[in-house]
Amino acid sequence: MSHHTKDMVRVTDATERLAHWLLAGSCLVCLISGLGIMFQSWDIIATVMGGLYATKWIHTFSGVVFAFSLIYAFFMWRKDCAFEADDAKWIAKGGGYLWETSDLPPVYKYNAGQKLFFWFVVIFGILIIASGLVMWLWNPETFSPAVARWAYALHALSALVIGSFFVVHLYLGTIGNPGTATAMFTGWCSRAWCETHCPRWLEERDKKA
Amino acid sequence: MKKSEIVKLIDTTRCTACRGCQVACKQWNELPASKTRNVGSYQNPQDLEWNTWTLIRFQEHQDTDGSFQWLFRKDGCMHCTDAACVRVCPSGALSYTEFGTVAVDQDRCIGCKACISACPFDIPRYNAETEKIYKCDLCLNRLKENQIPACVLSCPTGALSIGKREEMIEKAYKRVEELDGKAYVYGDKFVKGTHVIYVLQKDAKVYDELPVNPRIPASVVLWKNLFKPFTLIGMGAVAGMAALHYLIKGPHEVHEKDQEGGE
Repeated sequence: MSHHTKDMVRVTDATERLAHWLLAGSCLVCLISGLGIMFQSWDIIATVMGGLYATKWIHTFSGVVFAFSLIYAFFMWRKDCAFEADDAKWIAKGGGYLWETSDLPPVYKYNAGQKLFFWFVVIFGILIIASGLVMWLWNPETFSPAVARWAYALHALSALVIGSFFVVHLYLGTIGNPGTATAMFTGWCSRAWCETHCPRWLEERDKKA
Repeated sequence: MKKSEIVKLIDTTRCTACRGCQVACKQWNELPASKTRNVGSYQNPQDLEWNTWTLIRFQEHQDTDGSFQWLFRKDGCMHCTDAACVRVCPSGALSYTEFGTVAVDQDRCIGCKACISACPFDIPRYNAETEKIYKCDLCLNRLKENQIPACVLSCPTGALSIGKREEMIEKAYKRVEELDGKAYVYGDKFVKGTHVIYVLQKDAKVYDELPVNPRIPASVVLWKNLFKPFTLIGMGAVAGMAALHYLIKGPHEVHEKDQEGGE
């Protein structure tokens, strides 16, 4: 990593980035194939994926990848994403994203918005995986039709939540926060970026160094 | 849209449980028989199967006054006007026909089984080998050729008849009148009317496997009428808000070091 100057800070390791992209990639494949299955008028998606039957299996298997990467991501990030007292203050000030604010509580590794995103993905991820497993494996001998049909509804609700957060995350991780996206590509962000987005973490890191 | 909405009337008061309809259905639709066991009832097989689209249910019923009756009911797809199975089918394999009936196209079916979970009458059956669902289509290929369904053709007692919707409903109520009101019309009042209608000799609640008040399940309404559109509305709304944020507030630029004095 010789091209990184002293002004750059390594904010993620390779495992984090790999887990992130497995999670994001499988989520995106699920989202697109899922929309193709749910909206008959968007059958172009299924056509591109090799027909609706193939799309069903692409959806199922990317769901399995999503499930395993979510489990991994949960254990990897749950400590960094544990809420602390200052998070409420951060939320109350809109994180400085919506209006001008002064004295935002300094963030450790992830801000309260990122933590919320993480926990929403974990909770609705668990729901979408559990309901997806029912939809995949059920038959009238294993689950009652009532259980199965609520699984379909729950699956759609979870997709709504995760899909919407996905768009927010995409914006805030790229053009909404210039300098952020490299955290998940090269793993390096500028020192100034760290001072803005994770000052307490940077301070601790510098002390250790 | 519908050229001629038709209704099949099942008059259970005339049914002798000969099961001719069951056999005729298998024959016309080329459905193989299943190996079954004698469980002490004439009902055979015990339930609808992927290869059994209709069957006579035999039910021993004792009335409150102690009188015994043997009830026969031909079970099978009710061909709802507002069909939960069609609402949930992602592939268009289940669809409405010009007759108002519900057709099934196995070539389109992807075997998701959503229809099985949604049907208030517990009709569609899954074949794990073909990964498709099967059910009665009221002999669509016969209806299209102006032929009556195989089951109706086979019925020797007049328990089964088919015709224009209004006429059949009228016929059903006339039959109840004929029986001094000691029978019940079932099928014209819920899910916007079914295209199979019964004259039941007992109140619907007496019969096994027959819902008293069938309707589109609440989960299906939530799923298809709320969550489904809101997936697009939700994702579109946040994308719109992100765009507005970018244009109005601008991206969240990194602070210079001297401005970062919050600690």
